Amino acid sequence: MNEPGFVAKTLLLTRKDLRIELRARDTLVPMLAFSFAVTLLLAFTLPTTGDNERAIAGASATTVADVLAGFFWVTILFAGLIGFARTFETEQTEGAIDALLLVPLDRSGMFLAKALANLIFILLVEAFLLPLFVLLFTLDVGSGLAPLLLVILLVDIGFVAVGTLFASVAAQTSSRELILPVLALPALIPVFIAGADLTSDLIAGGTFGTLVEAGWFGVLIAFDVILGITAALVFEFVLE
Amino acid sequence: MIEARGVTVVYGRTVALDRIDLDLAEGVTGLFGQNGSGKSTLLRVMAGLLRPSAGTVMVGGRALDLREESFRRRLGYAGHDSGLYLHLSIGENLELFGRLYGCAPNAPGTILERVGLADRTDTRVGELSAGLKRRAAVARALLHDPDILLLDEPYANLDDDGAAAVTAAITAWRAPGKIGVVATHGAKRVKAYADGGVILTRGSVTVAGTYRPNERTEGAGAE
Repeated sequence: MNEPGFVAKTLLLTRKDLRIELRARDTLVPMLAFSFAVTLLLAFTLPTTGDNERAIAGASATTVADVLAGFFWVTILFAGLIGFARTFETEQTEGAIDALLLVPLDRSGMFLAKALANLIFILLVEAFLLPLFVLLFTLDVGSGLAPLLLVILLVDIGFVAVGTLFASVAAQTSSRELILPVLALPALIPVFIAGADLTSDLIAGGTFGTLVEAGWFGVLIAFDVILGITAALVFEFVLE
Repeated sequence: MIEARGVTVVYGRTVALDRIDLDLAEGVTGLFGQNGSGKSTLLRVMAGLLRPSAGTVMVGGRALDLREESFRRRLGYAGHDSGLYLHLSIGENLELFGRLYGCAPNAPGTILERVGLADRTDTRVGELSAGLKRRAAVARALLHDPDILLLDEPYANLDDDGAAAVTAAITAWRAPGKIGVVATHGAKRVKAYADGGVILTRGSVTVAGTYRPNERTEGAGAE
């Protein structure tokens, strides 16, 4: 016997989730459909200035940046919650959760595998949504693209940690789609406020320098570390 | 040796298991009883998947703790459901679990051959009949050649050929030092090869004994 290590087993489980999603298409597709519909709706409800730019008439560039950042993160938030609610769906249909609980792998590995799969799903949604925002809102991220991608990744880490943990709690109830937002949203508020604030700065022309100097940047990193470690540790007790 | 002492499981106002005292030595033990007698609950407790309301389960002289990876490595369990992923083929499922347990690459093929599913390797679990799923579940539980095997209704929905294949797989697995518990409400098939039997009635052990002629007790004649 040549038993793989912690990382290899974790990646095996993530690969399994991705393979199942490729076949079932019941997580990513609803997330993308929701994101597209909401973005389209927002784009047509936002007044234009008349010079082919979608912006709030008479509003300053900072206000427009605030609104667009809010639109972006609210869309991601709810698209993510739609997908995360299904995190343990495949384990529950045929009792695979029991088989998985008996596998010789630390519970944190199970958590990381699920979180990694969720991170990939949400990154794919963002990879679709960001160009859509650029297109529909004539968003000019320009030199702010790299720091924006960093902010997106940092928000996602906290989002996925909380979302995956509470998805495991919600999975044990009959109304998980309703329970998950109720449980997760309070814990996610700081992460998304930080994300919206930093994104707004970058849309308004901020650079990597202004990002690092912003107070929310540190808050976001701190939340990621705290939420990530806490979620991985608490996950075992949720399963128990 | 698996020792249960005073194991009690209470669901709300229902007592599913009532102060069970049981010693399970090496060999295969049939766990019999009508629907609702507590067979599945007792298996889940012995697998560590359900914490009893009271009492303890000891495995090899140590308190059962599912958090111990070494215990999980020794255990094979198939519950009411198959424990498999519907969107993966039988082969992909067993390959996944085989790698997680560190089995040899040919282990899935060998066990599928044994339960008579070698020709279904590429069939997705979601496309299998209930009987074939049952056989696949038994294959998953046996995959890593566990020291302790807990099977809940392995003969459910099986035709005679399927039942014979499952029996062959269980008897091939049996070896000195290994402990197997096969829960079923139809005792005939299990009695054909079991070393002992336990009858549960409404959460209590009413009969427990062995089937070997020189050790035969009151359990031997129980159906």
